[in-house]
Amino acid sequence: MTRTPIFVALTAAVMLTAAGCGTSTEAEDGTITLSFLSYNYGTADLGGEGTQQLIDEFEKANPTIKIKPQGVAVADVLTKLRTSTMGGDGFDVAQVGWSKMAQAYQSLPVTAVQDIASTQDWQDTTAGFNQNVLKATQRDGTTVAMPYTMSIPTLFYNANLFRDAGLDPADPPSTMDEVRAAALALVEHGAQGVYFDVANASKSDFLTQSLVNSNGGAVVAKDGTVTLDQPPAVAALQTMADLTRSGAQPGISESDALAAFKAGKLGMLVTSTAVLAGLDAAAAGNFQVQATGFPGFGDKKPRPTYSGAGLVVLSKDKAKQQAAWKFIKFLTSEQAFTTITTKIGYLPLRPSVVTDPKYLKKYFDSDQRLLPALRQLDTLTPYTFFSGEKADEARLALQDEAVEPIALRGADAEQTLHTVADKIRGLIGQ
Amino acid sequence: MTRALWYLAPLLVVLAVWVYGPLAFTVVLSVLDWDGSGTPTFAGVDNFVKLFVQPEFPAALLHTVLLVACVLPFATVVPMSLAIMLWKRPGRASSVYRALLFLPVVLAPVATAMSWQFVLNPLGGVLNETLGLLGMDPVNWLGDPGTALPTIAVITAEKVIGLNVLLYGAALDGIDRDSLAAAGIDGATEWQTTRHVVVPQLWPITGLLAGLCVVLAGQWAFTNVAVLTQGGPDGVTDNVYYRLYTYGFTFFDTGVASAGAVVLIVVLGLPLTIRTLLRRRAS
Repeated sequence: MTRTPIFVALTAAVMLTAAGCGTSTEAEDGTITLSFLSYNYGTADLGGEGTQQLIDEFEKANPTIKIKPQGVAVADVLTKLRTSTMGGDGFDVAQVGWSKMAQAYQSLPVTAVQDIASTQDWQDTTAGFNQNVLKATQRDGTTVAMPYTMSIPTLFYNANLFRDAGLDPADPPSTMDEVRAAALALVEHGAQGVYFDVANASKSDFLTQSLVNSNGGAVVAKDGTVTLDQPPAVAALQTMADLTRSGAQPGISESDALAAFKAGKLGMLVTSTAVLAGLDAAAAGNFQVQATGFPGFGDKKPRPTYSGAGLVVLSKDKAKQQAAWKFIKFLTSEQAFTTITTKIGYLPLRPSVVTDPKYLKKYFDSDQRLLPALRQLDTLTPYTFFSGEKADEARLALQDEAVEPIALRGADAEQTLHTVADKIRGLIGQ
Repeated sequence: MTRALWYLAPLLVVLAVWVYGPLAFTVVLSVLDWDGSGTPTFAGVDNFVKLFVQPEFPAALLHTVLLVACVLPFATVVPMSLAIMLWKRPGRASSVYRALLFLPVVLAPVATAMSWQFVLNPLGGVLNETLGLLGMDPVNWLGDPGTALPTIAVITAEKVIGLNVLLYGAALDGIDRDSLAAAGIDGATEWQTTRHVVVPQLWPITGLLAGLCVVLAGQWAFTNVAVLTQGGPDGVTDNVYYRLYTYGFTFFDTGVASAGAVVLIVVLGLPLTIRTLLRRRAS
């Protein structure tokens, strides 16, 4: 055999070997490295800076635990988690949106955080937590994903545009009828009226559920039956169609609506509290951003559900699970919620930090805009999931084939919801 | 021959591992029911049946055909015309125009898609503001089912034009000068020369670029669809590639996604195979 073929064969072998090489995440000195997938990490509007600060503070306090964060688009969280798990390079801890949680439980190796902590540690950690939030997010009585970045849909409004349209910014609308009237007044004065972020780019149905719940209905009943084509749900979404058809709501995408509000052209925006920091930054020096609670239907009390995310542990390694629990405890501590609220824009889930001078008392004394949303945390409705393997596909069908055409193009809610409800029932085997 | 094989070995190994191996795996997956975890089960032709029974895939096929039809002129006629204009007026200005036309090709696709989002914003985007100055109503370019697909096609074409102007430019440099001289001697006008002498010599490159457009237009549009419309509104921008991505990586229905990929290989590969066989027979 000549030397040339040996050289060629060796080159091929080295190339293939190099392609298959990975790196170990455990150092010889016992440092544990946790891979952390977060849709806040690395972003501008959604608090990339705040998330990095939390990671830095945790690592400083826990020198034997290193966090390896990775960012991802909100809509791609499940895709990223499933493909990385399939590829044998899964994450140890992940921030998963509530709308994707059912599918995450179904398809990912999730270990309940409550099962990782000792009983005493769990009780001590959750003692100061908002108990309604904990209960609402439990699965069969156990906390599987730790509530982390959570928000309630909030009505943000441009106080300057309100004044120009003859509306009183100190008396914002609190019902759908009032919202519609205010929106039409804004339109008459040359601005855009209102935008309900129901057809959002991340395909989350939290606002859809908030609307339907507030009108006395449900997208999914407690027994798992699909009820999105029942009269209360139809009427709730017909309100969106009517707003668009009347010109009170522009039929545009979420990103266009956010851009319009930031440019001072849109009077009201109903969306997650997480956008507040971005709205303030854009409005600075131009107009005043105010906020009020989610509007109700007539005299029915608003019953919004939550958006945001929980933290799940995906590692099966016991040492990593304990490290992950330490990380999660830190991310849901009083100090962390101070950063989460001031920098990232989600709600503090420990009520005590709101009135504690060490944490957020000064913040809420000077800025009360998130207080209406905070109050609604105590009465929020649990987020409901479609059941089965096709839960995610069902949610996407609801958002893409029903909510979007109804809200953005004024499609007839009854007909559209009946068609999509039948499709969803077929998908989930009902 | 043995020695030649040794030299080809690294390439063959790479092709086997990264191209033909995954292709074979895709064919295998197309007859399995598997979500990427757990044990796969044999599904036979069920995945292919599901593909065509659900309305989304046939609709995506139709939208892909429409997309190709919209992009085709921008892949052939427009770059050909621009290249001929630049070829007829050589000089520094011509080089500058070529560079400007090529610039979109080197820009990151996600960044250009996001820039288009600002341009096309129905409330105050550059395009609608310009239309407003001309007394026209604003258009929801990406949110209206009637305009979304042509808009995606134009955004996709922006990158295609630049590259194809370059390719046509190279083809024009190889034009038979004697035929141009002969046309001049025969008294042909500039337009007659262009139409009857230059353009026919560009048919081979035009055929190639048209074929590439048919095969790749859906892929070229993928980033724009993923960033700007996610297949909407009402699924009008959902093309075959985005639909397969949705089946495979959003729904994790790997069997159906693979079945779609196999169908695509057959649909695109069959005409090319027949053409190659006919050409071989003719020669």
